[in-house]
Amino acid sequence: MMTDNNLPQPPRWPDRLLEWFLSPDLKEDVQGDLHEFYHKRLTQVNIRQANKDYWWAVLHYLTPFFFNNQSANYSQSISLSPVMIRNYLKIAWRNLMLRKAYTTINILGLAIGIASCLLIVLFVQHELSYDKYHTKANRTYRMVIEGMLAGKKIQTAFASAPAAPALMREIPGVETATRMDSRGTFIVKKGNESFKEERIVFADSNFFDVFSIPLLKGNPKTILKEPKTLVITESIAEKYFGNTDPIGKTLTFGEKDVYRITGLCKDVPSNTHFHYDMFASIHGEQLGEKWLSSGALTYAVLREGYTLEKLNATMPALIEKYLGPEIHEFIGISLADFKKRGDKIEFVFQPVTDIHLKSHLDGEIEANSDSKYVYIFSAIALFILLIACINFMNLSTAGSANRAKEVGIRKVLGSVQGQLIGQFLSESVLVTFMALAVALVIVAMALPYFNQLSGKAFEVSVLVKGMMLPAILLACLFIGLLAGSYPAFFLSAFKPVSVLKGKINAGFKSSWLRSTLVTIQFVVSIGMIIGTIVVYRQLNFIQNKKVGFDKDQVLVLHDTYILGKQLTTFKNEIKQLSQVANATMAGYIPAGASNNGADGFEVVNGSDQPVTYRDKTYSIDDDYLPTLGIKLVAGRNFSKDVKSDTAAVLINEAAAKEFGFKNPIGQQLRTLGTGEPDSKRIFTVIGVVRDFHFESIHNRIAPLVMYYGADTYQMAIRVRTSDIPDFLEVLERKWKAQTNNPFSYSFLNDRFNKTYQSEQRTGQLFSIFATLNIIISCLGLFGLAMFTAQQRTKEIGVRKVLGASVMSVVVLLSKDFVKLIFIAILIVTPIAWYAMSEWLEDFAYRVEISWWIFAVAGLLAIAVALLTVSFQSIKAALMNPIKSLRSE
Amino acid sequence: MKRTFLGEFEEVVLLVIAGCTEEAYGVTIWERLQQQTGRSITMSAVHATLYRLEEKGYLASELGGATAERGGRRKRFFALTATGSKALLEIQEMRANLWQDIPAGKLQVIIK
Repeated sequence: MMTDNNLPQPPRWPDRLLEWFLSPDLKEDVQGDLHEFYHKRLTQVNIRQANKDYWWAVLHYLTPFFFNNQSANYSQSISLSPVMIRNYLKIAWRNLMLRKAYTTINILGLAIGIASCLLIVLFVQHELSYDKYHTKANRTYRMVIEGMLAGKKIQTAFASAPAAPALMREIPGVETATRMDSRGTFIVKKGNESFKEERIVFADSNFFDVFSIPLLKGNPKTILKEPKTLVITESIAEKYFGNTDPIGKTLTFGEKDVYRITGLCKDVPSNTHFHYDMFASIHGEQLGEKWLSSGALTYAVLREGYTLEKLNATMPALIEKYLGPEIHEFIGISLADFKKRGDKIEFVFQPVTDIHLKSHLDGEIEANSDSKYVYIFSAIALFILLIACINFMNLSTAGSANRAKEVGIRKVLGSVQGQLIGQFLSESVLVTFMALAVALVIVAMALPYFNQLSGKAFEVSVLVKGMMLPAILLACLFIGLLAGSYPAFFLSAFKPVSVLKGKINAGFKSSWLRSTLVTIQFVVSIGMIIGTIVVYRQLNFIQNKKVGFDKDQVLVLHDTYILGKQLTTFKNEIKQLSQVANATMAGYIPAGASNNGADGFEVVNGSDQPVTYRDKTYSIDDDYLPTLGIKLVAGRNFSKDVKSDTAAVLINEAAAKEFGFKNPIGQQLRTLGTGEPDSKRIFTVIGVVRDFHFESIHNRIAPLVMYYGADTYQMAIRVRTSDIPDFLEVLERKWKAQTNNPFSYSFLNDRFNKTYQSEQRTGQLFSIFATLNIIISCLGLFGLAMFTAQQRTKEIGVRKVLGASVMSVVVLLSKDFVKLIFIAILIVTPIAWYAMSEWLEDFAYRVEISWWIFAVAGLLAIAVALLTVSFQSIKAALMNPIKSLRSE
Repeated sequence: MKRTFLGEFEEVVLLVIAGCTEEAYGVTIWERLQQQTGRSITMSAVHATLYRLEEKGYLASELGGATAERGGRRKRFFALTATGSKALLEIQEMRANLWQDIPAGKLQVIIK
């Protein structure tokens, strides 16, 4: 008798081909016949010929007849037929209903995950969409200044006012260039009504050509060409004119500037880097004529095909032509010398689409966001989703012991693996879609809070707009398949024999994978707890840091300049009030809306080639320092009684250091002014103030020079009463007695805190998502603990009969999880330490990351996990052993 | 039952199976076919015909026991069904009638 072992086997490839091609019920006998044929051939011809014949014979089977033809009732494709899919779903539904706790945990976890993910996607999508909607967005650039003056970097969001016309005139590749100039807040009057408007800008006539804000009324060709004309947005039109047509009507800015409305545009979309409501013609307005002493936001649109490189290449000539003479005029040296001593001034073009996420220059229109946060939040979204998916996988595999018998029976009754995979996948997809439904409800409910938190204005409808809905559905299908794939392949691979013999405790034995997944979950969760603690500590640190001035109990009264000549009387009147400690004109203020100035300075010390410094400047009156509680380190404050104080300045410690003064009092500084000879004035330093944070705490305290001269833009009042409402009433009465203009005020500490809104927002979002993360992880843990307890019911029963205490059983059931958390802590510590150090880099003054943060985060995680697990383990431990042992 | 037409090759295959003394399966049928007809026939043609005949109800098949020589793969044994036998007999009868109708002496002319 022939045996297989000592005979050559037929070539492998045709055999494979055959196996793949033949329908399964034909496979066995046809292949057997072919093998027999091969062996017969072997006895007749040599092996090569036999192989060839075999190939030939096999190839003849590649006809439609043998391909799944005869066996419609036994083919693999059956697993995807509508009948089977309906059956899968039915069985899946029954299975889910059978184990309600498990299903709830799964769906809830996934729903929270998907909901947070959706919210973050909305947020990120919006952040990324800034300024992309302009039709010429890809060729629009903002011209900004980058310079270096006496070792200090100058980076401003605006360029020189004459730059835009020069670009259009001299560089043929520039299609058009437009300017915007914001001049702060205006009191806008219509008849007797007056409102305070903050979002007013003066713009060139080609503004609507560059930015695609739809013009609803008005001729786009002539709009804003005429001086004193105005385009307003729909919401402003509604506010001032209701339903009547605003075209041709007039509004008065301040006391006497009358503007005629010639156009109406849609509101500026939220994903724009500016949000002005009124666009006034820039023509006929005062704009500086000097390049070095003027500024306007400048945007250039390049012609199709003209590259940024070409534009950059033309800049040196432009600078030579226009800035060269001015540098000579202002500083008294040539451009070449200017460059030689290490100073520079350059124009840089940034894509308009990059402004929102990447630009952080001086004089930005609005505080821009940061691409960093887009990355962080995308990562968080992925993490949350990952954790939710892990939950799903863990619970399914842990539950596998319960399903193993089912799989065994199904296989015995003729299920093939493909069908079982289909069964399990449809179960997970079903769960995902149920979770999606819950998630959509959660999103709809959470959206208002999320808007508040993120500072956006999403509506529920964005979820179903455009490609969003199909994308969500597809993503969910994908998540379902992904999360279901492991359990599907794992469970369907069970061998029926061993399963039915009861050998499969594999559900729990192969727990290394599950342990890894749980560890990953806790790595992420603990990481986020650490992140939250660090962010909050830093915020706290900033808010409580000694800022160098006393920000509590200071009220800022806005728009006091409209009082004009009566202002001094008004101020004195307020100072008389018993509730007021002091009052000062505070156009320049270290927090919130403030004027800001900068000037060039040279130290007067007889040198021919003095160094030019460019420093921030304040204009203050003699009440400023006492009102804001800023301390003098040396010298004296300004005084009304000293006539020469108009030519005196106060400087801060940083400035004294920069100028190199050992003994600052009595030193002299020369300002560069506007370049006119008589604007170069000499000032004597009469005092040094202690450094205070007049800019964001992100930065080190910069040098500051303070002139004597009140800026009347707003007034700061130090309040001496705890009855603020009453005081406000008094104040309002006094204000109304002077003017019809709106009474508006703010508190200095509120304004200060607002400057850190973006960090606060990050902190809040971080803590919320960290909490969600923990909740989802714990849901998973809860489920796992439930399964462990169930599986070990008998074991616990036996242990209790043999005298184990409740405590020891609880410990037994909890210690595995605690071990995993310890490993997670070990893994996450270096990662979190590194990530948070990176984040803190941005702050000039920052907290230490001390070891206790990690300890606290770890302990917190352990505590929460123990709490979750112990609920199950105590329940299991308290169970009467009779109950668990009786049934067999 | 709907009458199905029996092709020449199908008829030969049925006859070969009918003539088998042992149990008939793919390889034996294929070999006997080649012997009897003297044509070169591919195995796939034989298999296709066998399955088609089974589908038409002329053949029945069952899997035999495991075998050692073909890697443990079982053989599929084919046997005539009643319908199959009837179909063969009908064909033979029809042919016999046709033969009888041929006038004596005519056949030699045709053959020549």
